[in-house]
Amino acid sequence: MIVVNTITKTFGAYKAVDAISFTVKKGETVVFLGTSGSGKTTLLKMINRLIEPDSGEILISGRRITDQRPEDLRRKIGYVFQNNGLFPHYTIEENIGVVPRLLGWPADRITKRVTELMEKLRLSPAQYRGAYPNELSGGQQQRVGIARALAADAHVLLMDEPFGALDPITRASVRKDFKQLDELGSKTIVLVTHDIQEAFELADRIILMDGGRIMQEGTTDDLFLRPANQYVKDFFEGQRYIYDHFKNKQS
Amino acid sequence: MHQQSAKLLQQTIQHIGLTFISLLIAVLIGLPLGIYISRNKKAAGFVLGFAGVLQTIPSIALLGFLIPLLGIGPLPAITALFLYALLPVIRNTYTGIIGVDPGVKEAALAMGMTATQRLFKVDLVLAFPVIMAGIRTATVINVGVGTLAAYIAAGGLGEFIFGGIALNNTNMILAGAIPAALLAILLDLLLSLVQHTGSRKRRVMIGVLPLLLLVFSSFYVLPFGRTRLLAGFTPEFMGRRDGDIGLREVYGLNIHTVVISDAVMYKAIYNHKLDVISGYSTDGRLKAYDLLVLDDDRRIFPPYYAAPVIRTEVLQRYPELAPVLNKLSGRINDSVMTLLNYRAEYLNQPPEQIAREFLVSQGLYQGPRGGRKGVIRLGSKIFPEQYILTDMYAMLISGFTDLEVESKTGLGGTKICFEALIHQQIDMYPEYTGTALLAILQPPAVLSARLAGNRDSVYRYVADRFQSDYHLTWLEPIGFNNAYALMMRRSQAQQLKIRTISDLTKYLKNDK
Repeated sequence: MIVVNTITKTFGAYKAVDAISFTVKKGETVVFLGTSGSGKTTLLKMINRLIEPDSGEILISGRRITDQRPEDLRRKIGYVFQNNGLFPHYTIEENIGVVPRLLGWPADRITKRVTELMEKLRLSPAQYRGAYPNELSGGQQQRVGIARALAADAHVLLMDEPFGALDPITRASVRKDFKQLDELGSKTIVLVTHDIQEAFELADRIILMDGGRIMQEGTTDDLFLRPANQYVKDFFEGQRYIYDHFKNKQS
Repeated sequence: MHQQSAKLLQQTIQHIGLTFISLLIAVLIGLPLGIYISRNKKAAGFVLGFAGVLQTIPSIALLGFLIPLLGIGPLPAITALFLYALLPVIRNTYTGIIGVDPGVKEAALAMGMTATQRLFKVDLVLAFPVIMAGIRTATVINVGVGTLAAYIAAGGLGEFIFGGIALNNTNMILAGAIPAALLAILLDLLLSLVQHTGSRKRRVMIGVLPLLLLVFSSFYVLPFGRTRLLAGFTPEFMGRRDGDIGLREVYGLNIHTVVISDAVMYKAIYNHKLDVISGYSTDGRLKAYDLLVLDDDRRIFPPYYAAPVIRTEVLQRYPELAPVLNKLSGRINDSVMTLLNYRAEYLNQPPEQIAREFLVSQGLYQGPRGGRKGVIRLGSKIFPEQYILTDMYAMLISGFTDLEVESKTGLGGTKICFEALIHQQIDMYPEYTGTALLAILQPPAVLSARLAGNRDSVYRYVADRFQSDYHLTWLEPIGFNNAYALMMRRSQAQQLKIRTISDLTKYLKNDK
């Protein structure tokens, strides 16, 4: 469980995140939705201390994140980047195994885990194990990025626009395979996106942000059918097609 | 020939060693410094600026600064090369690390790497090609600047290059320059292979590189410490029959020798860095540093008696000229000339003042008559002794004849003065018999060996040939002999009871 308590972050005179509080329950997937500059990525990076807040506190499983060394904290949190963030000088196997290696897992356990994840994410281990990131397509690279975040069995997964850099067809296929991962069942996931369809498809709960503040939080139906204010209403205006499509798929 | 190729190999190996020792030190210091400033941007400007300023100091000047601090030999040479190698190493380390994709850097942190883990596992590995490019630049710079090490007795391929320049021997220049160029190209190629290893082998290469630097560094065998006395000879002296070669063949002199430029040689012997040097017998520094000229008892150094050389045609047109110019004859011996040079070089008195005061003291000075009968154009080579002599002749001519004088001083070396004379650009200049014999007439070795040692026979031979071949007349010798000479500190020579070159040879033989 992640508890975020009135955190604020300013860059110079610019308030990126303005006294925000929320809770993500264990096993829940919360999607932060918003335009560029809404503060959602800053928020995400404060959860694993890539950015330190000016004030407020964050607890994971009841423990303040500032009570531990940042690297220990981060090794227990999976992180997926928009532009995959793979190490260009590491093979696919080394990229996926990077956190287990930092944690000191034995070599055979790492190999086994890497093979397992590659199969789950439809990357042929025989073909790609020794390849380098630049030898893979964009979709494949993103699959590796996801595998890397899952490798050490972290309970918390942070995802920063994980499918945002992919073309629509690849995006749909990677997202589909991601959703079907059995690994996700028990994970607490915070995902940031500006893609409404993605938010609808993946979220247990959506938090819509603007200007560093929360505009509304709730289910897809809550936000779409019962907007709390004019901003939320405007945000979803003209998106009925996506909502209907989502509902059809659900039923 | 065989001896020369062995020497070439030795110099090449020395050169590689010199290049890589300084490179190794530059990497050991520049790499951490580059890493440091990539994290402290405030320090970056200062450090890069400072290293940049070092880079702009001309290499000769840098060596000049270092000699008072570090003396001569490998230490100042390596220090200078190290300073030149520093900027490319620091700058490329800095640029390389700064240039790593910020997304990848952030990912490294997000995965839970510590700052140190990120540095070694990510930043340095990804910056490696850029850092290597810096090391390549530094290597090529070092191979080039390393040739200057020959000026300060640190060896390397510069010995051939500067010897060749001094002797006007193109083959000798190329014997140093071609290997130096090839070395630069080869090392650059080798390092570019290291630089462009793909990700797969890069981690191996990062391990190999320090090993490579160490192995090459060990090539440098310090060129010091065999016989008890150490000699420093100019590159020119090393290659001459009336120089190092003659010393070995005629005297059987066996002394450990380093090559050094004459600009720093006198200072080095004064500071006990050298014990024997090859100098010029009327150099003002003989007096300044209290050096003793060893007697050339087997006469390998041909006499270099100075006398005015003048176009015969001019003498015929103005018959009054010869007696006036000959007034100086026999007036200046070696020690007088040394003193005059000392006043110019060390007391920084203008040559014109030295010339006038000397003429006054000899009762030879008369104020200019302001005659308009004709113009005599005087030339001189580009060093103080020649300026002083030319000024004396100018004063004699304008004081004792109705002729005008036009001075064209500072005509570079022998070749330029002589060409100017035979092409009637000047009418006269002071020349030395030995120079005329060996540099201009260049008679067969047998003949010059027979002439060498005898002041009068050399003078007669030179005067006859100049008259018949070039219509130039040698007037009477001034009296002093500015010849090559071996010299030692007076105190040490007296202590070891060495007065002649034979004494020195004997001392070295017994010393072993």
